[in-house]
Amino acid sequence: MRYTSFTSYDIVLLAQGLGVSLALFLATTIIGLLLGSLWAVIRFYRVPVLTQIVTVFAELLKNSPVLVQLFLVFFGLPAFAKLNVTPVEAAVITLSGNTAAFVYVIAVSAIESIGRDQIEAARVFGLSRWQVLRHIIAPQAMAFAIGPLTGLLVNQLQVTSLISVIGVVDLTKIGNILNLRTLKPFVVWAMVGALYYVMAKLIAYGGATLEKRLRAHTAWKGL
Amino acid sequence: MISVRGVRKAFGAATVLDGIDLDVHSGEVVSILGSSGSGKSTLIRCMNGLEKLDAGCITIDDFDVSRPKELTEARKRSATVFQLFNLYPHMTAVQNIALAPVEVLKIPPKQAEADARALLESVGLSARADAFPSQLSGGQRQRVGICRALAMKPRYLLLDEITSALDPEMTSDVLAILAKLASDGTTMVFVTHEIEFARTISSRVVFLDKGQLVVDLPTAEFFAADGGMAKPRIAQFLSKMRKD
Repeated sequence: MRYTSFTSYDIVLLAQGLGVSLALFLATTIIGLLLGSLWAVIRFYRVPVLTQIVTVFAELLKNSPVLVQLFLVFFGLPAFAKLNVTPVEAAVITLSGNTAAFVYVIAVSAIESIGRDQIEAARVFGLSRWQVLRHIIAPQAMAFAIGPLTGLLVNQLQVTSLISVIGVVDLTKIGNILNLRTLKPFVVWAMVGALYYVMAKLIAYGGATLEKRLRAHTAWKGL
Repeated sequence: MISVRGVRKAFGAATVLDGIDLDVHSGEVVSILGSSGSGKSTLIRCMNGLEKLDAGCITIDDFDVSRPKELTEARKRSATVFQLFNLYPHMTAVQNIALAPVEVLKIPPKQAEADARALLESVGLSARADAFPSQLSGGQRQRVGICRALAMKPRYLLLDEITSALDPEMTSDVLAILAKLASDGTTMVFVTHEIEFARTISSRVVFLDKGQLVVDLPTAEFFAADGGMAKPRIAQFLSKMRKD
């Protein structure tokens, strides 16, 4: 006999799954943002060899399915490099790399959208490359990039659901478990979908708030 | 002293500066005149190290701008005001002015901000100190640009057609500031199309044509009938500029 009714413990299960999804999303977002920005800076300063490596690596990551990357890391690393990775480690490596590749593209275009005249002015006044990056490029590139980055992160949040296929017990995996037990797919997946929706809206709201603050100097008051 | 010796600069097949020699001594105001494409702005860009020289040498107080290690020192001694202002759009007027003094001259931020506000007051912009460049008129932006340069307490001020993007009223505001700087003894090299202004405040006038320095004369001699004006190219240029 199956027990198909929902229990209060299911809320705890969903909360655990949500916690795992959120934690992985936050961790891979932070790593991806740092890595992608670093790659963009390497490209901006045309660092020999590293620029070419970064460009090829980002191209590969951008243009292949995340699920294939996940399988390559989870099954491929133990087979080819004799490196055993746990499902969570595989998820962190894959999603961080994938996020970094798209952050790289956004950061490069954000940096390139900054007028060279400003950078020249800063250099003429004696600011070092690092000072130019910190005071002139980074704040403006952030303002340019925050919109596309918000869109990317909302998408990457949905992409975290793929990690359930290698055994990470995230929100989607919990949904699957509840669905199999209760046999109420519409209720379970609607609930899981609603939780992803709320998280996505929170990310979008945070991005919009930050964008408003960063772009205060170009605030468009309308005609 | 700014010393320019045998400077040559080409962009592809086009030679923009062809063997320029020029000295600018402390306290001098040197106007660089010439038609568009004569190499005036490129000469300024070579002086502040924004363009690499193909040949020759430029030193500012004996610091060679072609040597990366000496360029920083050369840039501490000279400051540039740009034709299109080149302000940092994400910073207020005060922040634009205080950035380099804090980061390069290591002046404490509070002191740099107070200095910036005092400079803005001196050019009649104290009420706009906390405005972003997008909230300022062209003339106001250029005055901020001048203050940004002056905040570095430079020995030499390089000005690249700083009134060409301004209307006549704004131009007169900006020129009044330059006239005051000249009377205070500030050393200036400025590229301009404001012939009468150049005549009023310059101690010397340099005329460039097709990348070559045609004349370098004291102002009175440059505008004298038997001086610079005796050269047909200069007479033609001045006549055209006055008609415009």
